[in-house]
Amino acid sequence: MAKPLLEVRHLKKFFNVAAGTLHAVDDVTFTIEPGKTLGVVGESGCGKSTTGRAILRLLEPTSGEVIFDGVDVLKLNKKEMRKKRQEMQLIFQDPFSSLNPRMTVSETIEEPLKLSGMIPDKDQRFTRVLELMDRVGLAERLVNTYPHELDGGRRQRIGIARALATRPKFIVCDEPVSALDVSIQAQILNLMKQIQQDMGVTYMFITHDLSVVNHFSDDIAVMYLGRLVEKAPSEELFRRPLHPYTEALLSAIPLPRIHNRPERIILKGELSSPINPKPICRFANRCPYATDICRQEEPQLTEVAPNHFVACHHVKKQA
Amino acid sequence: MEKENVKNTLEVKDLVVQYVSDNEIVHAVNGINMTIGEGKTLGLVGETGAGKTTTAMSILNLVAQPQGKIVSGEILLNGKDVLKMNHHDLRLMRGDQVAMIFQDPMTSLNPIKSVGEQIAEGLRIHQKLDKKDAMKRAAEVLELVGIPGSRAVEFPHQFSGGMKQRVVIAMALACRPNLLIADEATTALDVTIQAQILQLINELKKKYNMSMLIITHDLGIVAEVCDEVSIIYAGVVIEHGNLEDIFDHYYHPYTKGLFDSLPDIENRSAQLKPIKGLTPDPTNLPSGCPFHPRCEYCMEICKETRPKMRQLNDTHFVRCHLYDDTDERKL
Repeated sequence: MAKPLLEVRHLKKFFNVAAGTLHAVDDVTFTIEPGKTLGVVGESGCGKSTTGRAILRLLEPTSGEVIFDGVDVLKLNKKEMRKKRQEMQLIFQDPFSSLNPRMTVSETIEEPLKLSGMIPDKDQRFTRVLELMDRVGLAERLVNTYPHELDGGRRQRIGIARALATRPKFIVCDEPVSALDVSIQAQILNLMKQIQQDMGVTYMFITHDLSVVNHFSDDIAVMYLGRLVEKAPSEELFRRPLHPYTEALLSAIPLPRIHNRPERIILKGELSSPINPKPICRFANRCPYATDICRQEEPQLTEVAPNHFVACHHVKKQA
Repeated sequence: MEKENVKNTLEVKDLVVQYVSDNEIVHAVNGINMTIGEGKTLGLVGETGAGKTTTAMSILNLVAQPQGKIVSGEILLNGKDVLKMNHHDLRLMRGDQVAMIFQDPMTSLNPIKSVGEQIAEGLRIHQKLDKKDAMKRAAEVLELVGIPGSRAVEFPHQFSGGMKQRVVIAMALACRPNLLIADEATTALDVTIQAQILQLINELKKKYNMSMLIITHDLGIVAEVCDEVSIIYAGVVIEHGNLEDIFDHYYHPYTKGLFDSLPDIENRSAQLKPIKGLTPDPTNLPSGCPFHPRCEYCMEICKETRPKMRQLNDTHFVRCHLYDDTDERKL
């Protein structure tokens, strides 16, 4: 196993709200190897975006360690962190609201190069902007256009070019294709995969779309109410989901075919509150297999098979 | 108005809808035909800007005025032309014979009225119930969609997203419409909640023998709830058929492109094959077949002449020059 590029240990992000403490990310631990993609899936409010932002310190984590390339980024001061961000970038979900409407395509892509001082010379910077535009499939004639003149797919290409500008090793992609039509979604996914093959960048791919994540990721982490409940290589997870929530989540995907449709597991109820959660299994109230122990003790993430981690009282360690 | 017993709940014939903006004409719907039989569910599938929502709004005669204009066509609802109804008849029709569920449950509820009152409103108008009876009935309808009737006095902000969508469905069902239009009704919901709502829709459809028009971009949802599918591109239906026709034997290159763009859940290494290019600008549609600039099977005739709808069998129709003189599948 290669040395991981990113190691997240016991990461917590709590918010103080009127009703108590909201446990958005609660003791999350995982690693990502260089050049690989970790897909993070879960439903609204499970803490997947907060995890991504806490790793980049766009939200200051409550506690934990984020070891990136051997350095705990949570210990860096503001100036060091700014420098580190050249290596750690973010692609946003909504290409309609994440771009400055008053900046042209070239200004948007140029900004990180300018701010980081990586390329002080203006002409060289412009050459690099054109190179990046070419890389993400944006025609050179669009260089002086504004975001409102472009469609969603092209805007997302700008977001990708901007993220790539400082030659990062690691990119958090927060629902990068959710706002796009399927035909455009496929174009962007293929582009991101090509970039990974050519440049060896490591992705953390946050999404709620399970068929996309399966296609795109090497490993998948499933989150539920701030907890990481299962993590395994993609194929393994889809073939043999062990956590009851993962099982239900996978069976809920509406498959685009009319034959061999699997039997659905329809979960009852909805997410319980993430505010002041009791130290019990957070899925217990919706879980079809829940027993007394689930309502008494919080299950811990355990490696039950090689590289397959599950947090469930009812999954036994396999020889 | 009497709810008549006719075979087709909805027939749309040659519908053309345009929006006029800044001296430009947006050609949103360019000759759509569709038929929904009693108790049947039609899926209308297409990408952003294909004209799905405009078609749905036309059925309720609710196309935004003054910029929007239904240029021509007929919309027969239970045999009566919606486009010829006066204001009074339209009011009686909307919410009673046809109800619509919108994409975003967060914005389709009134934040300062209890959900019970909002459900009761339609019952008071259409079924002339008094306030007490309407509230009682509203609580019953809530039970039907899996929400305790006692919660009728609560306000929208007290419900989660999935629950709000159930409230919106309850509101739509209150007057037992013949036709329910669901415009991306589960798109904003999480998958496990979406599964609950789709199951509910399937149950209610069976129970009330209701016709449905499901507008979606998700072929997975179509496979789950629809009987027939129309694939729409640049405001025209380019292929229509039952589930088997479309999922197993699609004929149109665009339909093929839609399926090829989807990640295959069982074969994760399969390369995605996106459709090249972008959806056309509705103010400046391509000549001939609107799909020709993106089509890998494009021929000379496609650039000049708009293809006609060809009937392949009892249920399957396709609009493509590849099939001008053959019924044989060419993809």
